Amino acid sequence: MKKIDESGDLIKGLRKMMLMMKLTTFLLLVFVMHLSASVYSQRTKLSIDMRGQSIKEVLQTIESQTDFRFIYENEKVNLDSKVNLQVEQKSVEDILKMLFVDRGIQYSITRNNLILINPSGELPAMVQQPKTINGKVTDSSGIPLPGVTVVIQGTTQGTISGADGSYFLANVPADATLVFSFVGMRTQEIPVAGKTSINVMMDEETIGLEEVVAVGYGTQRKKDITGAVAIVDVQSMKSIPTGSAIKALQGQASGVNIISNGAPGSSSQIFIRGIGSFGDTRPLVLVDGVESNLDNINSNEIESIQVLKDAGAASIYGVRGSNGVIIVTTKRGKAGTMSVSYDAYASVQMPFGGNPLNMANTEEYAKIWSVAFPSEGSFANGVPDYMYRSPGSPAQWAFSGDPAVDPSKYNFDDGDANNNYIISKVSKPGTNWYQEIFDPALSQNHNVTVNGGTEKSRYLFSVNYLDENGALIKTFNKRYSARVNTDFNIGKNIRIGENAYLYYINRNGYSNSGEYNAITNCVRAPSYVPVYDISGMKYSATFNSPIVGNFKNPVAVQELQKNNRNLSWTMVGNVYAEIDFLKHFTLRTSYGGSITGSYSVGFGFKPYWDTEGFASNNSLSETSGYDKYQIWTNTLYYKNIFGKHRINGLLGSETIKYDGRSVTGSRQDYYSQDFNYLLLQNGSSTIDNSSSAYDNRLFSLFGRIDYSFNDKYLLGVSVRRDGSSKFGPNKRYGIFPSVSLGWQVSEEAFMKGVDWLDNLKIRGSYGVLGNQSNISTGNAFSSFTSNMDNSYYDIAGTNNSSQIGFYQGTIGNLDTSWEKDIVTNIGFDMAILGRKIEISAEYYKKSIEGLLFSEPLPAVVGGAAAPTINIGDIQNTGFDISGIFRGKIGNELSFTISPNITTYNNKVVSIPGTAGYFDTGSTRIGNLVRNQQGHPVSSFFGYDVIGLFQSPDDVAASPTQSQAGPGQFKYRNVDGDEEISPDDRTFIGNPNPDFTYGINLALKYGNLDFSAMIYGSQGNEVVNFLKWYNYYTSWYHNGISRDLLNAWSAENPTSTIPAVLGSTSFSENSVPNSWYVEDGSFLKLRSVVIGYSLPDRLLQPIAVQKLRFYVQAENLFQITNYSGLDPEVPGSSSNFGIDFGNYPNNHRKFIVGVNLTF
Amino acid sequence: MKKKLNKTIIATCLILVFPFIACDDYMEVSPYGSVSEETLATKAGVTNLLTGAYSLIDGVNGSFFWGDNSNWLFSDMASHEATRGSTSNANITFFEAHTILPTHEYVEKKWDGCYDGIQRANDVLRILPKVSEKELPAGEATQIKAEAMFIRGLLHYELAKTWKNVPYIDETVIYNSDYLVPNTDRVYPKIEADFQFAADNLAATKSDAGRANSWAAKSFLAVVQMQQGKYSEALPLLTDIVTNGVTASGDKYALVPNYWDNFKASTENNSESVFAVQYTVNDGASGINGNQGRLLGQPVVPPCAGGGSSTVSFSTVNAFKTDPGTGLPLPDTYNDSDITNDMGLAESAPFTPYTGTLDPRLDLTVGRRDIPLLDWGLMRRSWGPNQLERGCYVLKKFFFYKADLDVNTESFGGWTTINNINYCFIRFADILLRAAECEVETGSLAKAEQYVNMVRARAADPVGWVKTYLDNDPSRGFTDTPAANYFVGLYNGQFTANGQAYARKAVRFERRLELACEGHRFFDLQRWDNGTGYMADELNAVIAHERTTPATFPALQNAVFTKGRNEIYPIPQAQIDLSMKDEESVLVQNPNY
Repeated sequence: MKKIDESGDLIKGLRKMMLMMKLTTFLLLVFVMHLSASVYSQRTKLSIDMRGQSIKEVLQTIESQTDFRFIYENEKVNLDSKVNLQVEQKSVEDILKMLFVDRGIQYSITRNNLILINPSGELPAMVQQPKTINGKVTDSSGIPLPGVTVVIQGTTQGTISGADGSYFLANVPADATLVFSFVGMRTQEIPVAGKTSINVMMDEETIGLEEVVAVGYGTQRKKDITGAVAIVDVQSMKSIPTGSAIKALQGQASGVNIISNGAPGSSSQIFIRGIGSFGDTRPLVLVDGVESNLDNINSNEIESIQVLKDAGAASIYGVRGSNGVIIVTTKRGKAGTMSVSYDAYASVQMPFGGNPLNMANTEEYAKIWSVAFPSEGSFANGVPDYMYRSPGSPAQWAFSGDPAVDPSKYNFDDGDANNNYIISKVSKPGTNWYQEIFDPALSQNHNVTVNGGTEKSRYLFSVNYLDENGALIKTFNKRYSARVNTDFNIGKNIRIGENAYLYYINRNGYSNSGEYNAITNCVRAPSYVPVYDISGMKYSATFNSPIVGNFKNPVAVQELQKNNRNLSWTMVGNVYAEIDFLKHFTLRTSYGGSITGSYSVGFGFKPYWDTEGFASNNSLSETSGYDKYQIWTNTLYYKNIFGKHRINGLLGSETIKYDGRSVTGSRQDYYSQDFNYLLLQNGSSTIDNSSSAYDNRLFSLFGRIDYSFNDKYLLGVSVRRDGSSKFGPNKRYGIFPSVSLGWQVSEEAFMKGVDWLDNLKIRGSYGVLGNQSNISTGNAFSSFTSNMDNSYYDIAGTNNSSQIGFYQGTIGNLDTSWEKDIVTNIGFDMAILGRKIEISAEYYKKSIEGLLFSEPLPAVVGGAAAPTINIGDIQNTGFDISGIFRGKIGNELSFTISPNITTYNNKVVSIPGTAGYFDTGSTRIGNLVRNQQGHPVSSFFGYDVIGLFQSPDDVAASPTQSQAGPGQFKYRNVDGDEEISPDDRTFIGNPNPDFTYGINLALKYGNLDFSAMIYGSQGNEVVNFLKWYNYYTSWYHNGISRDLLNAWSAENPTSTIPAVLGSTSFSENSVPNSWYVEDGSFLKLRSVVIGYSLPDRLLQPIAVQKLRFYVQAENLFQITNYSGLDPEVPGSSSNFGIDFGNYPNNHRKFIVGVNLTF
Repeated sequence: MKKKLNKTIIATCLILVFPFIACDDYMEVSPYGSVSEETLATKAGVTNLLTGAYSLIDGVNGSFFWGDNSNWLFSDMASHEATRGSTSNANITFFEAHTILPTHEYVEKKWDGCYDGIQRANDVLRILPKVSEKELPAGEATQIKAEAMFIRGLLHYELAKTWKNVPYIDETVIYNSDYLVPNTDRVYPKIEADFQFAADNLAATKSDAGRANSWAAKSFLAVVQMQQGKYSEALPLLTDIVTNGVTASGDKYALVPNYWDNFKASTENNSESVFAVQYTVNDGASGINGNQGRLLGQPVVPPCAGGGSSTVSFSTVNAFKTDPGTGLPLPDTYNDSDITNDMGLAESAPFTPYTGTLDPRLDLTVGRRDIPLLDWGLMRRSWGPNQLERGCYVLKKFFFYKADLDVNTESFGGWTTINNINYCFIRFADILLRAAECEVETGSLAKAEQYVNMVRARAADPVGWVKTYLDNDPSRGFTDTPAANYFVGLYNGQFTANGQAYARKAVRFERRLELACEGHRFFDLQRWDNGTGYMADELNAVIAHERTTPATFPALQNAVFTKGRNEIYPIPQAQIDLSMKDEESVLVQNPNY
């Protein structure tokens, strides 16, 4: 059932159908109950001995002995004829046959034991014999659909389906066609063709032109939409079982790009129609009109999602709309019988098999090491058996029998790591670190929804429990949530209601960027290091040692954060009241918002296994805070239809406030590491605490008019004036107008003859959107502050204290103004061949002017944080195309294929002022990313590798290049001079895809359903920064890639893998170069689902409307050339696509689930 | 009907407009946790701003030690006094290989740190005039102004000696002005002017040991003059300082009897400390305000980890050999052979340290095998770096006594330990040797010898020598037995007898010994080079020697110091790019970069 503006419409619609029902004789049959008629009628045996009595009397006898009741029309059937009947223990059916068959009287037995007697007195010819037809109507998810009109085509004869979706229609001519119709569903015509039972699944009419969808501050008929609005197929989105609606949205709507990592509970990077900002690219997400976080909403609760992509649709949201707007409507209560549904699944996430990071095993390691350091000697006598570390010395190698590794010497001193005598047995086969930290992980999700109400009051209540565990050990996300949505009608003209969503989240979090996470350490850790030392309990790595590198034991990294918690409690929602007055007006006020309380605790264990900092203190930190968001919206609606004119208007004001505070404290040096001991006051050193606060506000006025003439010519105009406390007084207010036009071509007289074309609409829009998300509250102000680290100084020379010092913290800029997006959109919607094919296509151009970004200032201005200014312009152009292809094979198999594709071409148009670029994407080898005029956002910048030097002669013949040598990279001489210098750096990659696409496939065959979803990205490039760790051998032993076995050497000159060096080199890995850049295109089979809905005859006895089981597999396969784990690598908007040990989002997952409604 | 309509319209308007009325106040939100410039125009405000400026004289803002003004990278490494040897940190390699590119991250860090501090000093100068005289008497205001100008001069001098061609940024250069100042004007006169003002106006003694006084300003003035070759101008100033100078605490400038007292937290800010960065630990800043610059150079003695980045070169160690007859240094022959070392010798193998005569300052500068490393014990192979790559000597200066652990140290960044030992920009021994240098160039050779002998006499005094442990137990203290064969002799008329060239070489060599690995040598060589190629010759000779040692020193394998380029550093490329005016940068790159 699709979005309906006011639930009143539904009631009205139902009432109308009721009226129609009165025309039939079957009104009594509408609300049928549950017993199976056939079973009962077979089981119930009667003995009757009646002679010379009327049929009516016989029937009365049967009624008195059984639960059967007969229904007939006196004037149409003659039951007065006398019969003789003698039966012993016969079923009712047998008795009825004897009574009626020879008399031309038809009958049928319904499930609820009604026996209907055919009104037709005359027996029709056998071929034309009218039949009784029954069946069940469900929606596409198998939920019984009550209230569906079933009419015999060309007659007024019909019925509506009952609460369990079943219908019964007698006296149907065998050659008749039944028409099934329901608001928001595609009407179906099904020929009877001799059948007596016809089950129908109604498809939601996603493009139904009369369909009403939620748009900015209201609803609009799909027919009247002139902006770019993507309507998400919520049903297919729900087939991705994840706790996050954002993750499920990937690939479901054209124009929407979502990049996720696989960590449970992690948030995704989302941008609509390309990156339109150097900061936050997240679109505005409004759930029931209130800004919310889709990451934390279960797809089960969602009724509909619309994505507003262009100015025509989104500029009513002004300053918050530039990244696009996602409008989410949650399910609401429906008048009618209470329905309860339970949805649950359990899944297991499987790690990759084998050696996915392609790390060298111990033997291979020793081989490569000896190439890098022929004289170093670690493996001169083969791989040693032990590593040990005695007090005061770094770790050393030992062979079996060496007295230094006598287990009796082993000592672990919890108090002073310097006393430790640690012995580890070298792992001879080699530790596969990836497999050590990844295990199959079970997850489960349970959802119960209760929904019902009356015309005057309706409710929906749902509770959800999500327990999501990542294949990476100790990663989890637990969420407990409840939603209560209610609506009440007071009198005829007033409606009030509320939406409340409460959730509690408990997760441990995973840091997806930077080099210290467990996955990066799988690459940094040499394979010869065992997980545990010889004690079997303590993590290995033998601290303070060159022989084991400066990695962190990946198992320790994950295991020891087991007590870390990030908890949050959020309540989000609103209350509203609406009043209709003066026929055409509605006034609505809504007050809502969210409040989140959060708490986190993290304990850092004494890292005795760690090369660096093994003697560090343990430390505890606790943080708590709140974030508050309030929104008060007042809107006045005007709606009128007169003659051929249809006008919708609205005026509104909105007041928004965001504020929050947090406090954090930490201490070090805890006597005990027992979690129950860990309170802040028990830490004995390094007492630290701090707090933070923010507050910013918006005040806005807005209005919109939509006008349509004769349903053919459409005009929409909107304007919004936003004021933001983030800008200086002179730049505080911005005005964001838009205009859009539409032409319903197919309504024109000259198109009427075109049979194959069901619908064609051409539309276009132009308008301005704003953005202020990348500017801090105090941007207009220069401010001074103090900071222990930055400005305190021991001016008195005390050695153990420092005095407060001030410094300028920020430079203010009063001229900073709104970031403006000027968006042009042209598109068409088309439906052809009886709506079997529908296509929407759009071209857009989004010019972002005055991008907000921190001003790059030369150092001479000082160290104060530069103000955010309007730094430059970006332009995105591209196409969004989506389609639906529906078909049927035979009568039973129906399918839908819905592909969508998004292209975008992103370009930095200008970065005025100083350098015309700015660098970001900081790594150990410098910045990898340059945002520069004429290039896409977040482009990779560095030296372009054109091959490997083959010989000293080759080096000599090439331009002078620092540290060049055979087997090392030959860089492209971009500027053509004599040497390779920074001027030869160039653009070496682009993480922006040429296009992304999604394909949803749905098949239905009887009670079986099948769906699949493919998502892909083409042309995006990824920096595989893990290569910096495992292709680089240094004095410190790091993990080494197996690839180096095949590295270039004089004997292996055809290899493209650079020579193994014992050091970093400008000509190899120590500067950003194209060798790190890889093609990141991918195609993922995100999901395959096979479901089976139990047939009604099994469900009826147990009072169940729907019971479906399904099995599902995620990420069954992926096609990519990327050498890392997953080319889908998020990041920030001005620097993304750099893989520092990204939590892959392509682990396989197997799911079993159930949907139950009763 | 009409009445009803009116009511409705009024109600509607009220609802829509009500928030708008409240709006003006509603939209004014001032920032949290900071104060405005106006609020700082008080005595406490400018005093605290000045402290904030002092906190950046080491060039380290927060946790970034690469650009540190003690110049462990820009001088010690780049002049091959110390070495990283290994290429495991490519960015350090470039300093040793003399292949620094304008895009080098650490070069940028130093530039940024210095200008950051300069603008903090300028903030003081900008806000000071706004403080009413009632609140801040003119005399006090002048002291604050002069200290701010001292800091500005000091940081500009760091810039000038590192890059030579740098923009001079005074208090008129602010964000809302034309801040793109070219680097083509001579910056030294302006630096001199800053120090001159400080010298003229600062009091001789100050309330805090860490503040600049007039003598510190004069000392810097002399240093800046010398760096420009203005020996004759510097000489009278230095003579005055030697004769009359006092520290901020009022102690007359003098060499402390025990050399190591300059490198120990409990004895610093002594009579020899002309001007120093005051480092501190356990002040609540998690070690960030400690001596970060020397962090990576600490021996690998647990709990100090991940260090060993600064290994002392063989040449530096050899320079401490003395003539067994005279006890004088051997500037011409010191590098003919290496002193006995433990290269390739196992930790447990017996070792006999060098038995020839040595300047005792060697063991006060360098940790070498089986010589007491303060109270930590006899230096072991494993406390040093990977020998094969980096040789066998660790830097001892700026390392702390084990007894000072936790008192004068703090755990740093979870991976090592940091201490609070001050870095002296100028200590009195430096002043004496500078006076000697000026005397050699423009004055009396005899006087020069006298100054040098003052420095050598302290070295010759056994009170400051490294002694063996009592009962070989580091925890029991020291005997009176010198740890090695120390012998230092004084010059005895050789300066006058052998002439200016001899004297010049002697003074220069003495600086090398006395101030080894204290961040001076690169800039000393720069001063003595003066376009002659002297610097390139000296450093290329050292590189050549280091290549002959048993250590591989991969970073030095292709190292060449190029005359006319490597004497100064490249202007950071990013700064050039950020200084575009009319499509051309106001910053001109240094020659041959």
